[in-house]
Amino acid sequence: MNPQYDADVIVIGSGALGSNAAYELAKLGRSVIMLEAGSRIPRWKIVENFRTSSRKSNFNDPYPNEPWAHTSYDPDYIENTGSFNFKPGMLKLVGGTTWHWAAACWRYLPNDMKLKTLYGVGRDWPIEYSELEPYYQRAEEALGVSGNGDEDQSGQAGKPWPPRSRPYPLPPEATTYMNQRLNERLAKEGYHYIHEPNGRVTRPYDGRPACCGNNNCMPVCPIGAMYSGDMHATHAEKAGVKLLTESTAYKLEKGAGGRIVAVHYKKPTGEDIRITARYFVVAAHGLETPKLLLISGVANSSDQVGRNLMDHTGIGLTMIADEPLWPGRGAVQQGGIFNWRDGDFRKQHSAVKHSMANAVPNLAVTNRLLHKGVVGPELDERIRHDAARWVDVGTVFEMLPEAGNRVTPSDKKDALGIPMLRVNYDVGDYTKAGKVIAKQDYAKFAKILNAEVIEDETGWQNRDHIMGSVIMGSDAKDSVVNSECRTFDHDNLFLATTGVIPASGVINPTLTGVALSIRIADTIHREL
Amino acid sequence: MSFSLFRGAIFSSLMALGALSAAHAQQADPKLIEQGRYVSLAGDCAACHTNAGGKPFAGGRPIGSPMGNIYASNITPSATNGIGGYTEQQFADALRKGVNAKGQHLYPAMPYTAYRGLSDEDMHALYVYFMQGVQPVDNAVQKTKLPFPYGMRGVMFFWNTLYLDSGSFKASDTASAAVNRGHYLVDTLGHCSSCHSPRNLLMAEQSGAYLAGAKIDGWIAPNITSDPVSGIGGWSTDEIARYLKNGHVDGKGQAGGGMAEAVEQSLRYLSDDDLTAIATYLKTVKPVRDPKDSKAAYEYAGGSPLPSISELEPQRPDNSANPDAMRDVSTTDGTVLYSGACASCHQPGGKGTENQYFPSLSHNSATGMSSPDNVVMTILHGIERQGADAHVLMPAFGRDMNDEQVAAVTNYVTAHFGNPDARIDAAGVAQIRAGGPRPLLIRLTPWLMGGGVVVALLVIWLIVSVVSRRRRRRR
Repeated sequence: MNPQYDADVIVIGSGALGSNAAYELAKLGRSVIMLEAGSRIPRWKIVENFRTSSRKSNFNDPYPNEPWAHTSYDPDYIENTGSFNFKPGMLKLVGGTTWHWAAACWRYLPNDMKLKTLYGVGRDWPIEYSELEPYYQRAEEALGVSGNGDEDQSGQAGKPWPPRSRPYPLPPEATTYMNQRLNERLAKEGYHYIHEPNGRVTRPYDGRPACCGNNNCMPVCPIGAMYSGDMHATHAEKAGVKLLTESTAYKLEKGAGGRIVAVHYKKPTGEDIRITARYFVVAAHGLETPKLLLISGVANSSDQVGRNLMDHTGIGLTMIADEPLWPGRGAVQQGGIFNWRDGDFRKQHSAVKHSMANAVPNLAVTNRLLHKGVVGPELDERIRHDAARWVDVGTVFEMLPEAGNRVTPSDKKDALGIPMLRVNYDVGDYTKAGKVIAKQDYAKFAKILNAEVIEDETGWQNRDHIMGSVIMGSDAKDSVVNSECRTFDHDNLFLATTGVIPASGVINPTLTGVALSIRIADTIHREL
Repeated sequence: MSFSLFRGAIFSSLMALGALSAAHAQQADPKLIEQGRYVSLAGDCAACHTNAGGKPFAGGRPIGSPMGNIYASNITPSATNGIGGYTEQQFADALRKGVNAKGQHLYPAMPYTAYRGLSDEDMHALYVYFMQGVQPVDNAVQKTKLPFPYGMRGVMFFWNTLYLDSGSFKASDTASAAVNRGHYLVDTLGHCSSCHSPRNLLMAEQSGAYLAGAKIDGWIAPNITSDPVSGIGGWSTDEIARYLKNGHVDGKGQAGGGMAEAVEQSLRYLSDDDLTAIATYLKTVKPVRDPKDSKAAYEYAGGSPLPSISELEPQRPDNSANPDAMRDVSTTDGTVLYSGACASCHQPGGKGTENQYFPSLSHNSATGMSSPDNVVMTILHGIERQGADAHVLMPAFGRDMNDEQVAAVTNYVTAHFGNPDARIDAAGVAQIRAGGPRPLLIRLTPWLMGGGVVVALLVIWLIVSVVSRRRRRRR
């Protein structure tokens, strides 16, 4: 390490992406400082916070929402100006938002990455699937992914797809009774149920116990079987990374030759500190990363920073089926229907994924019955009846990058004087066309299960998959980062965030983000 | 394969091999190689000679001692870096006398005092296995370099004079075949006493306290004599055998630390006949009673009444006005810590799950012993163990709790589920976290420096004891 720098690399953000990049660099012998806006909180404390709360369905509730490190449900944190109230679940603490996720660990399909070429819409990735594949494998091994490598995850009942170089690190969990029954009944009508690869270990792995089905993946896995970013923050620290908590980066400082020379951060006390490094990795979440670039005035020669914001904005269906299915056994989700994941239809409308939720439904069931005025012994009986038959389908749609969907710094500032977020977000026609298809499926699902439909007009829902906000491409004029996740404007500034993803597909993007982050670490190591 | 079948295999192999001086001169009977592999498993050779992530038996694993690391040697049949050039006699001398082919004394990290008792049949099979059943790996192992005076291997001669008893294991004429077989496995290949027998001031095994329990690296290797109170006299033979095979018996206990490693790497591979033989023999070992003990550890089930659900899970107000409370991790209330860290698996009532995959904390030898060291170690370091029936893992909490918090959880667990008299404070946890009490000899070492051979001898004793006790330390 050159003594004139505080570190070889500074990583901003200690979530799953930042921690994996930091750990890989430290393993290769690089000196790394990792900044984290929030605190380090042990799992037992978060479990205590969850246990002692009556607000069980608020997944941010067990986590501190500090005036100097807001979580996303703070009313002032995200100001919305568009037609949709964009409000993803998001946390600030060591480990980041993977403390509460459902741990879905899908890979993109080769076709997902060639959307423009194949279907004439949206954008292509500037790299092919085959370039990403080895990093997908490493990411799966880092996160301890359990999966079924024998299925066609494109949902067409074809050969195993996408291609993989090695088997999943862990075998899939047993299929729950609910998913067995749904699969049996839906398959007759041509629906292909696909197991969801996930970051819950099915046997002891990397110091984590096997998942035992607490069904509490959100807001916190009480035993640490499910992956969360703090695991690699800890690995990173053991490998020599210096982790600075309660340290909010607010400015990237430009130097000669378009290089970034320093990052400025603030402590909750207001103390202001500048540190230097040869390389910088911003891994501060898909909304905070573009905000940091914008308030620093860096990386935005394309005027695309903060634009092209995408979520897998979705809708939902709730039904009471004609037979007991016993949702709530095992993890909170296990798979879904992928018939509309890929095909020529993507020229006309978005891809569609239906995920069968498997959370214990008693809270929703009871709320509904109470609102209907059901009380006394009948209430108990109806809770038992309905909770056993509750079917909750979460549907997500592919989005296209649109310049008007964007995140910018808000006029409102947090306790440190740093601007908070403003989002302008509307759902586009491509996605609305997909919704028509999904509603046709909903009608079929209800018919197949002979179900009483409780809700099939939820309106658009957040899915917390932030993409596009610092978009990746091959042209510096219309993209923020190149295929290496390196900013076009600054050779030594990399962005480790799902915000780089230029074509959203319908799958949860975290695994892809981790794969790209490991790749960033390799790239920086080669150049240092 | 049963014990008698093995013996048959050995006998016929010996007949076939005749008087070959080096086993690799001719391809041996696969049965003999298999028997040698079994002996290597029973002796747990891989525990030291296979490095984490390395090729089998290629050496290089650092064995920690206060004088510095001792690097386990390459015992593959590599001609350049292993033992490929050893004759059977040289091989036997290394195992029985602690002398390598160059005539150098080995450090007693190699348990040759135990292996001295190996039968000629087992020695031969083991030799044939290492020559023909193990892939040669030309891995050059880092040289062990201990600072003066610890580096003087020659001094081992004096130590051997004192501690290396002569002759191989002698079967008793009056005991059953099973007891004799168990005795042989316990004292030679299993070298159980290196952990389970206490040491005297100079770190030699205490006479009259054979298998009576000892402290190792923070763990207590329990008393495994036949005493029904302090030892395992209350365990049935079948329970002991199942414990060795699976690493746990419901209502009795679970293996952690070095014992978990012994189950995972060695004992789970032994035949049921051999495990039963070990159990049968242990039930005959002279009972040793600790006067502090009044009933068997596994009989304890707490005493203090459990907190109510409202004490375990008090309703907290919406903390949006006070977010600092959400990250305040300073509590030393055992109830709060147990609820957050332990109750998800062991359950609020401490009884574990119905199938005991998550074990009960009552009727559990770790929580019922008169010293709570093993509870503390389990909390600090967790448990990972592959037994014959299952692979289990309890995560480590040493990073997420300070000494005072670990003490609070320990005292909560022993009071409610185990032996209520087994209590500990933060200082006690700190000592265990640091590896347990330091032997008097180590504490005296600075005062003894400069005393010539006497010091060197003491140092060797020290190395012996520390090494043999740390041999199984987890990677």
